[in-house]
Amino acid sequence: MRAGRHGGRLRHPWAAAIVLLAVFALAGLLVGGVRLSLGDLWSGKGPGGEAARLIASLRAPRVALAALVGAALALSGAAMQALLKNPLADPFLLGTSGGAAAGAALAALAGISPLLSPGAAFLGAVASSLGVAALARRGGRLDLQRLLLSGLIANAFFSAILLGVFSVASAGAARTMLFWMMGSLADASFGRVAALSPYAAAGAAVLAFHASRLNLLAVGEENAAALGVDTERAKRIVFLAASMLTGAAVAFAGIIGFVGLLVPHAARAAAGNDQRRLLPLSAVSGAALLVAADALSRAAFAPAELPIGAVTAAVGAPLFAWMLLREP
Amino acid sequence: MSPEPGSRTARLEARGLCAGYGRTQALRGLDAEVRAGEIVAILGENGSGKSTLLKVVARILPASAGQVWLDGLPLGSLPRRQTARRIAYLPQSVDLVFPIRALDLVLQGRAPHARGFSADTPEDLARALAAMRACDVEGLAERDASALSGGETRRVFLARALAQEAEIWLLDEPTAGLDPRHRLEFLDVLRRTHRDRRGTVLLVTHEIELAAELADRVLLLRAGRTIAAGPPGEALTRDNLRRAFDVEFKIQDSRFQIEGPSESASLES
Repeated sequence: MRAGRHGGRLRHPWAAAIVLLAVFALAGLLVGGVRLSLGDLWSGKGPGGEAARLIASLRAPRVALAALVGAALALSGAAMQALLKNPLADPFLLGTSGGAAAGAALAALAGISPLLSPGAAFLGAVASSLGVAALARRGGRLDLQRLLLSGLIANAFFSAILLGVFSVASAGAARTMLFWMMGSLADASFGRVAALSPYAAAGAAVLAFHASRLNLLAVGEENAAALGVDTERAKRIVFLAASMLTGAAVAFAGIIGFVGLLVPHAARAAAGNDQRRLLPLSAVSGAALLVAADALSRAAFAPAELPIGAVTAAVGAPLFAWMLLREP
Repeated sequence: MSPEPGSRTARLEARGLCAGYGRTQALRGLDAEVRAGEIVAILGENGSGKSTLLKVVARILPASAGQVWLDGLPLGSLPRRQTARRIAYLPQSVDLVFPIRALDLVLQGRAPHARGFSADTPEDLARALAAMRACDVEGLAERDASALSGGETRRVFLARALAQEAEIWLLDEPTAGLDPRHRLEFLDVLRRTHRDRRGTVLLVTHEIELAAELADRVLLLRAGRTIAAGPPGEALTRDNLRRAFDVEFKIQDSRFQIEGPSESASLES
């Protein structure tokens, strides 16, 4: 009854997403400054006998971090789109990324160790999200229209802070910040993967628990309220969970656009808008997309690396345009 | 006028109900009651608080003062899911941004009955399809709900109320914007399902003749208060209609013909 309905929908979107994730992950282990073959991967020796070390210390954590960040951004985007009842919403719309960027930039300016900059970015994201939520409150309600406007205001405010920081930062610091803002997985380590995991897991669990409520909210707030949802509570929880996912992802990987916008959109076209399927499918597809983008960023001009945010935008924009043209 | 709220046989009862949007008060101390199994039509000019009353009963809007009692219990004190299992709200229209099958829209009526975060059970599906059959929309199950006509959408929402197994149905202008044939079809289905399910119906309408014909009782609202209530024959008098609408009606054989604007200034404001 449920699968394979409506023209144009994939019969097995799940299988497709999982296979893609596996293929891209494998590619992610092989490509880069030193190109490995499947045989190298199997034997662990490869060029210079260092394949095992290369993979364990650099590529495996990088693939894992890309997957985690991609999943978090796509989940956050899917939830934001349902919450705001807007298919063009993305995780960066509501000021979370601006707050994170400002947090990281201020930390860099203050000379705080780069090791702590994820923490500063995450704090910035949390502060920004709470501020935006507070600004959007009206008569005890979280007004979704105001939430959008508050997000715009926050992003404008934080970009002013960023410009200010840029103007006084040293050339080196400004360059670091710039690369962070273009998104980067270059600092990936299993430590970072471990640090991001609990936030990603918690956010995903909260959203999964709210999937049915999100279905009702995606039709409308009144709809959800009339069907027994405490809408104020649900909206706040979903907003904070989605913001936390974005904040954590941005803290460890900088600002990577298009994943949170494109993936839920594509997943919806493939499997429909039932959040109980859309959320997990978005997570797996987001992971696959970012792992692919990361592999591409390392392979395209190896040994040089493209900023991953530029890759997702370069791949995402035409893909999005193509999907738009295909829509009936 | 009534001594103890929530003490009698009324299924729904409102006492001194106030509610509004921001600083605008739409309900200003409204009293009303609805008995089990009745069809009650709510009439009144635009802005008189008709839709607001439905939204408060549906728990879409909170009451700012006063209370609604459901079978003698204050509505606001009951868990939301519990009242959603008993009260269904049928909006005039919905603005669907995302694609959704008509069947999935009907299945949403099962949400208040769902346990945990399980998917729709076979029982949910069976109930939804049976409800769609009862409302003659079974053939639309796989269609995208945003592509349905007004009449189809209303019947899909009625099917959802049935799938919800709610005993109280709140209908906001269910016949507005329907052509004669779809209007007839909708009213047929409404009458039939009301008879079969013995639901209690609270229906907002601008059609005085529809109210006279369909309703067991009517409520006439003006500026957020009830100015008349009773069986159509008693409540829909020239006098009451003038007070409600500032319009002179000629009433003959349950026909309500507008004669012109009322001479006297509005009695209430």
